[in-house]
Amino acid sequence: MNDYPQILFKNRRPGATACFAEYAAGGGYQGLRRALQMTPQAVRELVKATGLRGRGGAGFPTGVKWLFFPADQPGEKYLLANGDEMEPGTYKDRQLLLADPHQLVEGMAIAAYAMQIPVGYVFLRYAYEECARKVERAIAEAEAKGYLGRDILGSGFSFELHVHRSAGRYILGEETALINGLEGRRPNPRSKPPFPAQSGLFGKPTNVNNVETFANVPHILSHGAEWYHGLARTPEGAGTMLVGLSGHLARTEVFELPMGIPLREVIEKCGGGVRGGRSFKACLPGGASTPFLTAAQLDTPLDHVHLEQAGSRLGTAGVTVFDETTCMVAATLNLARFFARESCGWCTPCRDGLQVVVWLLEELEAGRGNRDQLAMLGDQVRNIRGRSFCALAEGAMGPVGALLDRFGDELEDHVKMGKCPLK
Amino acid sequence: MSELLPQNQIDEFRARAAAIAHPHELIVDALRAVQSHHGWVPDAGVDLVAELLGVLPVEVEEVATFYDKIFRRPVGRRVIHVCDSICCWAGGGEAIAGHLQEALGIGFGETSADGIFTLLPTCCLGACGDAPAMMVGLTTHGRLTPERIDAILQQEREAFAESKDFHHQDTRTPREP
Amino acid sequence: MPTLTIDSREVTVPEGTNVLEAARALDIVIPHFCYHEALGAVGACRLCAMKFIDGPVKGVQMACMVTARDGMVVSTLDPEAVELRSHVIEWLMTNHPHDCPVCDEGGECQLQEMTVAGGHGLRRYRGRKRTYRNQELGPFIVHEMNRCIACYRCVRTYRDYCGGSDFGVFGSRDRVYFGRLRAGRLESPFAGNLVDVCPTGVFTDKTFRFKSRAWDLQEAPSICPHCSLGCATVPGGRFHEVQRVRAGIQREVNGCFVCDRGRFGAGYGNHPERPRQPRVDGQLLAMTPAIEGVRDRLAAIIGEHGPESVALLGSARASLEANALLRAWAEALGTPHLTFEAHAGRDRAARIAAARLGSKACSLADVRRSDLVVLTGVDPLAEGPLLALAVRQAARAGAQVVVIDPRPVQLPCRFTHLPLPAEQLGDALRCLAGETGGGIAAPLQERLTELRAQLAAAQRPVLAGGADLLGSRDVASLFDTAEALTRSEQSFGVMLLLAGPNSYGGALLAGGGPDFEVLLDAIQERRIRALVCLESDPFRESRDPGRARAALGHLDLLVALDATPTLAARHANLFLPTRTCVESEGSFVNNEGRLQAFAKVLDPGLPLRETSPDIHPPREFFTGTPGSEPWPAWRILARLLGRSEELATLRQTIAAADPRFAPLTEIAAESPGIRLTAAATLPPASRPELPHCRPAETLPLLPVPVVAGSGWLAQLAPALAPLRPLPQVLLHPEQAAALGLNDGDHAILTSQLGHCRVLVKVTAAMAPGSVLVPQLLDSALEGLVPGSGPFDCRLVLEVPG
Ligand SMILES: Cc1cc2nc3c(=O)[nH]c(=O)nc-3n(C[C@H](O)[C@H](O)[C@H](O)COP(=O)(O)O)c2cc1C
Ligand code: SF4
Ligand code: FES
Repeated sequence: MNDYPQILFKNRRPGATACFAEYAAGGGYQGLRRALQMTPQAVRELVKATGLRGRGGAGFPTGVKWLFFPADQPGEKYLLANGDEMEPGTYKDRQLLLADPHQLVEGMAIAAYAMQIPVGYVFLRYAYEECARKVERAIAEAEAKGYLGRDILGSGFSFELHVHRSAGRYILGEETALINGLEGRRPNPRSKPPFPAQSGLFGKPTNVNNVETFANVPHILSHGAEWYHGLARTPEGAGTMLVGLSGHLARTEVFELPMGIPLREVIEKCGGGVRGGRSFKACLPGGASTPFLTAAQLDTPLDHVHLEQAGSRLGTAGVTVFDETTCMVAATLNLARFFARESCGWCTPCRDGLQVVVWLLEELEAGRGNRDQLAMLGDQVRNIRGRSFCALAEGAMGPVGALLDRFGDELEDHVKMGKCPLK
Repeated sequence: MSELLPQNQIDEFRARAAAIAHPHELIVDALRAVQSHHGWVPDAGVDLVAELLGVLPVEVEEVATFYDKIFRRPVGRRVIHVCDSICCWAGGGEAIAGHLQEALGIGFGETSADGIFTLLPTCCLGACGDAPAMMVGLTTHGRLTPERIDAILQQEREAFAESKDFHHQDTRTPREP
Repeated sequence: MPTLTIDSREVTVPEGTNVLEAARALDIVIPHFCYHEALGAVGACRLCAMKFIDGPVKGVQMACMVTARDGMVVSTLDPEAVELRSHVIEWLMTNHPHDCPVCDEGGECQLQEMTVAGGHGLRRYRGRKRTYRNQELGPFIVHEMNRCIACYRCVRTYRDYCGGSDFGVFGSRDRVYFGRLRAGRLESPFAGNLVDVCPTGVFTDKTFRFKSRAWDLQEAPSICPHCSLGCATVPGGRFHEVQRVRAGIQREVNGCFVCDRGRFGAGYGNHPERPRQPRVDGQLLAMTPAIEGVRDRLAAIIGEHGPESVALLGSARASLEANALLRAWAEALGTPHLTFEAHAGRDRAARIAAARLGSKACSLADVRRSDLVVLTGVDPLAEGPLLALAVRQAARAGAQVVVIDPRPVQLPCRFTHLPLPAEQLGDALRCLAGETGGGIAAPLQERLTELRAQLAAAQRPVLAGGADLLGSRDVASLFDTAEALTRSEQSFGVMLLLAGPNSYGGALLAGGGPDFEVLLDAIQERRIRALVCLESDPFRESRDPGRARAALGHLDLLVALDATPTLAARHANLFLPTRTCVESEGSFVNNEGRLQAFAKVLDPGLPLRETSPDIHPPREFFTGTPGSEPWPAWRILARLLGRSEELATLRQTIAAADPRFAPLTEIAAESPGIRLTAAATLPPASRPELPHCRPAETLPLLPVPVVAGSGWLAQLAPALAPLRPLPQVLLHPEQAAALGLNDGDHAILTSQLGHCRVLVKVTAAMAPGSVLVPQLLDSALEGLVPGSGPFDCRLVLEVPG
């Protein structure tokens, strides 16, 4: 339907999943062949050169992370694909795996070679049973064809890949919690340092990347760094990204779009504009943990740098749009409830602080709130942001902070009128 | 299903646990296996998992009670998880949840009188593009309307009436929205 | 040693110290919950915030998670940090029930202190509070989950530090629950530590309930008298009774924790049968005339039969001061018949230890630091539970742990168990030392040679043993082995568990003197006419109580000084009541030779009850406190020596008389104590044991100690009753099969003590061959004293009816 370069979605067919033959026909596993002819170091350098940044939310440069990894250290090492995808507004990894799961398998095989890792796990959330089966099938096919397992393509390099089905809870997406989850421990996050690259799964060097991040790697190996970097609209960005549209839009699907594409274009062209002829009020540009953007910011290019300049984050590039009829206090309350419920219970600002935030938003939204509580909401944000053990509570403060900064009047009105001004 | 786990799976878990260095890593798998076979994880299930893997019962319980998709209390044959996160909320999720409660005559956390359905809220199901969404067993249904919901519930009831065996949701192949 | 600046003051701290501790070194105490000295930092509570202004890290950080580095400039007063701390407290308090007025933690609640210190005074949150159902956790601990602030200290203490397996953290988000899988008694022998580590009133001391408010307690630093390790405790007393015990902090010994026997075993001091009045020939009188009486009666006997007709018996329960004065008194009386332990085996073991430990002496802290621990003939959980806890810490740090013992020894950590029959322990030790031969099976020989190599390779190996099972002969072998194996570049530690809190002190004093069996012979032969027992009970405690009773019957005069209702006290012609170690100052020398002082917590007296259904207050009125007659044993002995100085002066004279005790003049309660270095002299050779041929059809019966039941003081502590096992024997499955007995059967045990009914416990974790029997005081099994035997026994299934 669209004229944007399709890399990750080039094999996407409605309701169908690309099997090995289709994938191979489209140049599948050529990247792995290339990689195996290069030195592991060279592969990591190449990925760094592309400027590929993690798609899991933190946006850390993937090549840099791979170069930190103690690839030469002998013994057990682990490679983990993070497919927990529980950030509200984010459903790209699911669509990716349903459309073309071999990209993940090949991407992980390349990463494994680049970091000399013998064992990998694909970590999938409870709700993604269908994806789990697709990935298992892809793994079986790849093994049968010699792209996985012992002595891959006669290179002498071996890599075995397993699927882990989780049992719910957003925090498992946090990489160290995920590692505890895989170990069968309570999935509270671990303190960093030590970073997973030093001591991760079972205390061994471990690299975690998002599903989509891995999916980019085969294409990078096949087409090179310049090509990949060139896919982006802005010099700050690199490659394409999967943008999941949701909320009050005419079309809510996942689109593969060039990095740096302006928000307005995404909403108008791909999303078909705000549903029912209503007007745009705000959006979460990168998932539930990213600060709201307002209509005034619609020209912001969707890449890490520009969104941070706009006071938000690219996160997981899940764009959730709210129309003019939306009460932003209510919307924020919904988000806060999510984070409070998904807290792992380890640290105080998140476990108990978010509960206080929820209570304050409930009071304010219901029109029972007063000025003191408005002020209290402010000091909650000030003291939770950057103070929690992991980034969950930090993320929770994204929208709440933006509510205070950008929709302060709406909050004020709730207090002044003693009710929701939009009801 | 009164039996917690079929013998072949019991043997399999024993063997796998014995073969690996960190049997704890099988706790979630084993809990899920018990749940998909027995419907939920009773105390005896926690003890069984601990025994099969050679870990402490508390260690199993610590994990079991952390995850929201491991049921430590009896549930119906089909657990309905209704998404209450932002996208579904924006898409009228609250009304959908209301309709479900009416249609089933139960509130959240309750099981319908016929013992078939248990209704639970859940965070984002990863079906944000198809909001509002719910998951019945392991099958996600999106773009819900009261009508669709009634139809789905009806299907489930029939499927359940037919199925002589009392196997649980996990054994049915899920459909995508 | 990094130097950093906190609140504009410089401080230099050891490598690896975290900034929270560094601040504490400057007496800047910043509120914190999840950090605990023994448990380490996890950064969960987020309370210990400080602002890092300059240096390697910047901004507001959790001080517990930052290791002190050179050049750090830190502010604890920075507004940002202060604001965060007050918020963290506010969050922690959102669900707290505010039931302080009825909370047993009241008055010593860290949450309360931190709330005030953290500057949170006004409740702003008005939402719902979450509530929990509590669990019944057994006889020692009360559970009140609603007060929980989720600092995770309990689970880190119980599971991680103490190795308990029946406690955990369940649930998530703001609904985490700390408790057992299902309600029931907490199984860990260290469960009581939950009371100390919980910063608020979730886990409180059930035995202390409704007795006092913390601020009404008289507390003082003391030493636990229940075993030879000498753990620091802080007993709390009121109304003349010790109502509870807290763990004291002694980093070289117990660290921050104590075992449940030490914590809940203080009740012995107020046993209803405790004799509190001096008694002469059945007649009660005051202390001074009674002391006169003792002096005169002994003078009379000496006049008639010479000084050698008097014997003095000290004990491992009595303070070093009392024992030393006993020796001074013996010298004054001119009798050589002096010893300090009624159990000859334990006596010799202690003297060998005191003579040979020397540079091998090792503290519990050394055990915690060890990289290989070999325990031979010792069951730590029965003989010195804190040793088990120390071994666990070593194991957690990667140390290997090997147990060579016939018993089904349990430890709160992974270990390899070589179940050898008691009679082969010596051979095993010699085998470790490299000698071949002995009755040990070939495969075990190999394992031991392997272990020998590991001992040689280890940096800080510890060889531990227990006096009872090893007996004096194998204790000697233990030292031979240690000496044979030690290499100059390693620090090789030996830790021997002895009988009581002052066994070592007694051993130092005993030197080359006779053991109690020699004295018993002399008593039998009427060469000794009078015996003075200082806090010692030969009727129960000597290796062969039967023989002791028979012999002691020949005495013309039995004098007893004691604080407990011993048989000696009951049978004594003259009795002088002494004080327990919480009722007086004094000092003990623990099993590593560490001299530690204890302070007086309270004065003796009959416990008062504010209300009591059954007793009417006494109708006759007098000024004294009922039951306050007992004197410290050292004071009584000083009087007997015709001296009336206070303890400080007495200590000086003791030190002057024997330079090995010079440190007596320096020690103070709560200080780390001082290790006595000068060695003792070895005991004279014990008379050879006649070879014993066991009648056919009989089995060897080996008495063993248990944590509660075979120790005298523990026996007198009512709160420990739940820990006391049923009369039982332990059998190896082979043995059981041969006898046609099954686990859980009741059988009739026939031994030199006659017949008695016992429960049969069958376990493959023990050595085949002998029958193990826990000694149980005040039971038919009382006479089976650990450190004696094996005895001949028969075991037959009880025929019901
Ligand atoms: C609360 C929380 C949830 C997260 N959830 C996910 C997730 O669902 N999927 C994911 O890939 N990364 C998630 N992350 C980010 C991961 O911790 C990690 O940074 C990421 O997987 C690294 O992969 P990338 O560099 O390829 O993005 C989450 C982080 C936090 C703090
Ligand atoms: S912020 Fe704290 S409580 Fe929240 S998820 Fe992270 S570690 Fe757990
Ligand atoms: S004490 Fe530092 S975070 Fe709890």
